[in-house]
Amino acid sequence: MIGSKKITDFLKKYIVTILFLVLSLTFILLGDLDMTSVARDLMKRLSRNAFIVLSLIIPIVAGMGINFAITIGAMAAQIGLLLAINWNLTGPVGILVAAAITLPLGALFGYLVGVMLNKMKGQETIGSMILGYFANGAYQLLFLYIFGNFIPLNSKVTIIGATGVKNTLDLTTNGLAQAIDSILRIPFLNCVYIFAGAGIVYALVMFLLKKITQKKAIVTAACSAVLAAIFLLPPVANCFNGKNSEAITVPGVTWILILLLCGFNVLIMKTRLGQKFRAVGQSQTVANASGINVNRVRLIAIMISTVLAGWGQLLFIQSDGMGTLTTYSAHEQVGLYAGAAILVGGASIDRATNSQALLGTLLFHLMFLTVQKAASALFGDAVIGEYFRAFLSYAVIAVALVMYAWKGNAKRKKKQKDLRTA
Amino acid sequence: MTENSTKITKKNQLSRRLLSGVLFVLVAALLLSSLLGYVVRGMGSTQTILDTMRTDAVLSTATSGLIDSIAASRRLAYSQELRKSKDFRKMGTDAYIAACDQAEAEARAEATALYSDTTGVDTAALEAAIPGIQGIQNRYNAMKEAENQIYAALYEEVTGSVGDWTDFLEANPGDDALWSALCAQAEALSSNEHLRPGMLRLVKALTEEEIAADHAQEVQQLWASASGAVEDWTAYAEADDDALWDIILQAVPNLAEHERAEDYKEDLLACAKLAISGEAAEAEAETEIAVAEAVVDYSYIVYSDELQALENEVNSAFTSLWDVLVAGIPTLDELKSKDAEALREKLLAVITASEGNFAQQYSKYASCGADKNLTGLTRLKMVAAADAENLLLLGIGMLLLTVLFTFWKPITGKMGVSRSIILLFFICLMLAAQFYKINMSMLVGNILERVSMYGVLVLAMMPGIQCGISLNMGMTIGCVSGLFALVTSLNYNITGWAGLIFSIVGGIIVAIPLGWGYAILLNRMKGSEMTISTYVGYSFVSLMCMVWMGIPYTNPRVVNLLIGRGLRVTHSLLGNYAYILDELGSFTIWGVKVPTGGIVFFLICCGLMWLFSRSKLGISMSAAGSNPRFAEASGINVDHMRILGTVLSTVLAAVGIVVYSQAFGYAQLYTAPRQLGFIAASAILIGGASVKKAKISHVIIGVILFEGVLSMGQQVANEAVSGGGLSEVMRIMISNGIILYALTQSGGEQK
Repeated sequence: MIGSKKITDFLKKYIVTILFLVLSLTFILLGDLDMTSVARDLMKRLSRNAFIVLSLIIPIVAGMGINFAITIGAMAAQIGLLLAINWNLTGPVGILVAAAITLPLGALFGYLVGVMLNKMKGQETIGSMILGYFANGAYQLLFLYIFGNFIPLNSKVTIIGATGVKNTLDLTTNGLAQAIDSILRIPFLNCVYIFAGAGIVYALVMFLLKKITQKKAIVTAACSAVLAAIFLLPPVANCFNGKNSEAITVPGVTWILILLLCGFNVLIMKTRLGQKFRAVGQSQTVANASGINVNRVRLIAIMISTVLAGWGQLLFIQSDGMGTLTTYSAHEQVGLYAGAAILVGGASIDRATNSQALLGTLLFHLMFLTVQKAASALFGDAVIGEYFRAFLSYAVIAVALVMYAWKGNAKRKKKQKDLRTA
Repeated sequence: MTENSTKITKKNQLSRRLLSGVLFVLVAALLLSSLLGYVVRGMGSTQTILDTMRTDAVLSTATSGLIDSIAASRRLAYSQELRKSKDFRKMGTDAYIAACDQAEAEARAEATALYSDTTGVDTAALEAAIPGIQGIQNRYNAMKEAENQIYAALYEEVTGSVGDWTDFLEANPGDDALWSALCAQAEALSSNEHLRPGMLRLVKALTEEEIAADHAQEVQQLWASASGAVEDWTAYAEADDDALWDIILQAVPNLAEHERAEDYKEDLLACAKLAISGEAAEAEAETEIAVAEAVVDYSYIVYSDELQALENEVNSAFTSLWDVLVAGIPTLDELKSKDAEALREKLLAVITASEGNFAQQYSKYASCGADKNLTGLTRLKMVAAADAENLLLLGIGMLLLTVLFTFWKPITGKMGVSRSIILLFFICLMLAAQFYKINMSMLVGNILERVSMYGVLVLAMMPGIQCGISLNMGMTIGCVSGLFALVTSLNYNITGWAGLIFSIVGGIIVAIPLGWGYAILLNRMKGSEMTISTYVGYSFVSLMCMVWMGIPYTNPRVVNLLIGRGLRVTHSLLGNYAYILDELGSFTIWGVKVPTGGIVFFLICCGLMWLFSRSKLGISMSAAGSNPRFAEASGINVDHMRILGTVLSTVLAAVGIVVYSQAFGYAQLYTAPRQLGFIAASAILIGGASVKKAKISHVIIGVILFEGVLSMGQQVANEAVSGGGLSEVMRIMISNGIILYALTQSGGEQK
């Protein structure tokens, strides 16, 4: 009885995740896809998007819902990148300078977004989305008319014969493309082995220090060993070391940054500020009563999220396959896809963790990759896959919002019922 | 509560005062600079500067004409060279154009470096030569204009008076007889003897045209019977000309006996070949009956002797000016005759500009680049003098507005800050349109057209707000239903009024169940409808994208011909029911074209909604929306009322999109309707609605203000800034800004 309830609860919570898993598997079977290429593309997309998705966590914990205004952070990053290109900076230095510019700009924009969102409490999701749209107008104004006319720019980045910034900026010749990704490329299998080894060492050390029980240590070590063993099997290993094509590699520095952000997300929750985030997220009234400046805490949450999203966008752009920055559209879908991804991982409007974000990114992009190929295999046309993924992105968000609203209404009704009976 | 509201009022007052202050400063600045402009204009030194500018303008026109010509000829030479080269086949059109652009830019830079120096020209001689030419040229222009007018009137009289020119020519053999016959047709001709040779030529041309037209018609008729008789022309792909001719002769009865059969042979064979290659069907489909507009053909005019003499005078005067120029810039003499002719026209235009008033002169000279030499204060002085009238107009307008805004209670009390700002913006745009000399009647016509286009869509927002689901961003569901019915009508070739009515009724029928389901969903989650409705609307639009791809419609009118299945994105409604509502009873008054049918339809919808909101049901619905608890207590079923409002909103959206499409002339599928909810929401909010309260007046004011600002903004932006896009930026910012403002107003209350 209890078991079945647990299962239904689990299903309820992870229904979207399971749906995506099933969908992706179906698409793989239908499309008859080459697993190596899927794995390679998935690795690229995962390392490209994970950082942005992770930047959504803090506002969710602080009870502000999904911060669709991370597009504004992305705009800040693109301003930084434009200036870096304009100053003829190259390679990692260029990205670093862009990141340095993103910090104050993102913080400023985040502050403004926070002020606006504080004025529309309870409507943050739609508010942040419309703020993103509004900012897109301002961004176009800036890039089309203010840059070039009032802020002089290098002729390399402006449209020939007119004012304003070019539609696409080249990142290849100045070495900005792959600037971070290419620093340290580790073969994927080596990563797995390192990871498994670390697991075993961790279990051993912890056991010796008597931090964990014998049973747990054995389970951890065994899991790690099995993982390594699976990847040692020739069919699996062939899939990844690229017997037939080029081996799958992991952009080391990017992943170090992603892991650092995961660590940051965990650690900040242990600080006083993190406690405040949680308190505000639980109940603004209670937090206010216990002397927390609710508005200020919310402001900080949004500012951090915006800056992080900006850095995430830089990682995204430098890793993007085309080696160009599409000036006027690169930021547009950032909020939508990141928001959908984190929800796919099992997060909700008021709860999210690192693992949900990473899992969500993985599944969301697996679906992305497979649906197009499956669509072209089934319908002879990839466009329908494009529509399908747009539909799923919106639908996932709609479903998450519906479920959240349902839960809230159920809680409220229960409260009223309790009051009446009391 | 009261404390809170006084706080808000105080805040409002403060911001209003601030705004008034800024406005007053602006007004003062405008009026002052206008005054300055008038004073400066009278001063002699300004006139001298203007004269210098005129000389500069002549000089820079000459050099830029020279440079243009060199660059253009270099481009031509380069492109010909490129076409001959081996690489040409490999390079795409873009690369080819880019290479030509590059060559032209290089040539231009080179020529600019070489020839932009005009110090060699004797400016004194130039300055002396200009006034002479100006006088003659102006007389010449006036006289030519008068003669052209006479000719145009006579031309229309002559061409309109005779039905069959072949008969006319036969009845009046010989030039003299023809001329007197023509004079009998149009009496004024006899007093304009110099028009005789031109008119005779005209008659001959008309006759030839008529014969050709007769022939074409004959061929068309013959071909119609031929093509009807043969099922499948493609079967004769292998046949040669003689075989084909036999087939045609068999297909068309009596053709073989026809006396002029041989005359038609060539054309009919061409038709058959087209049919064989399968192009005829497409060619036929694309042929639209062009409404021949009466255009006066001036190539047959012969000018009077006086005008010819005057022209010679102009020529000789111009030659002396040209000599002065050539003495300074010898390369000018090497210009090709065509370019030299064009340059002459430009120079004369610059010279004759001095007839106009100060502002016209200044803008003409400045557009030639003569304002380059002006610096600092002088430049400012000239600009102020040139724009004195505009500045004065702007200043007075702003003054009126500021006074109204600051002191008139009804405005200051009732209108929110956001609406006042939009109104202000509206009026500023109107002044700017005046400033850029945009045709006012066209502007107003444009606004009316857009009002009739968007009106019903904006109205669809109202029942949603009234029943308590706030801004119904999911009204796209209704829009998509309407589009579905519309595409169905296209697929089954239902045209004209039947098509329009089918689309509207069909849209309503589809929208009701969809709206019903959507309403039930919204009832389950009160409090966060707007967020959810946005995403439900978005996902529905994306879902329908897949439906559009997969729908089994086969009419080539609607199917994406490139892929061979799935609907195309844009469907032209021309020939179905494009503009059918707008054209109904449409009339033109003061140059403003009023889309009567569309406006009346919108007003009828508004009237019906108004009646509904006065009915018991409507009042219950508003009550359920504005105070659900109270409504519940007084026995109203809140959930039912919300369903009613949502369904109404969805249905109106379905009607709205059909009206929108017919006014637009095109229906757009796929992701196109996604943002319509936002547009409608911002329009009604600008009209004064909030996310909780809306009235018919908000809809009407909102749609006029919003569409007015957008349509004027578009034209002003196009005039003010080169390269489009600014109006789109403005639309994004206004539309989303106003929704944000409404959200902040509503969000503050609920915590």
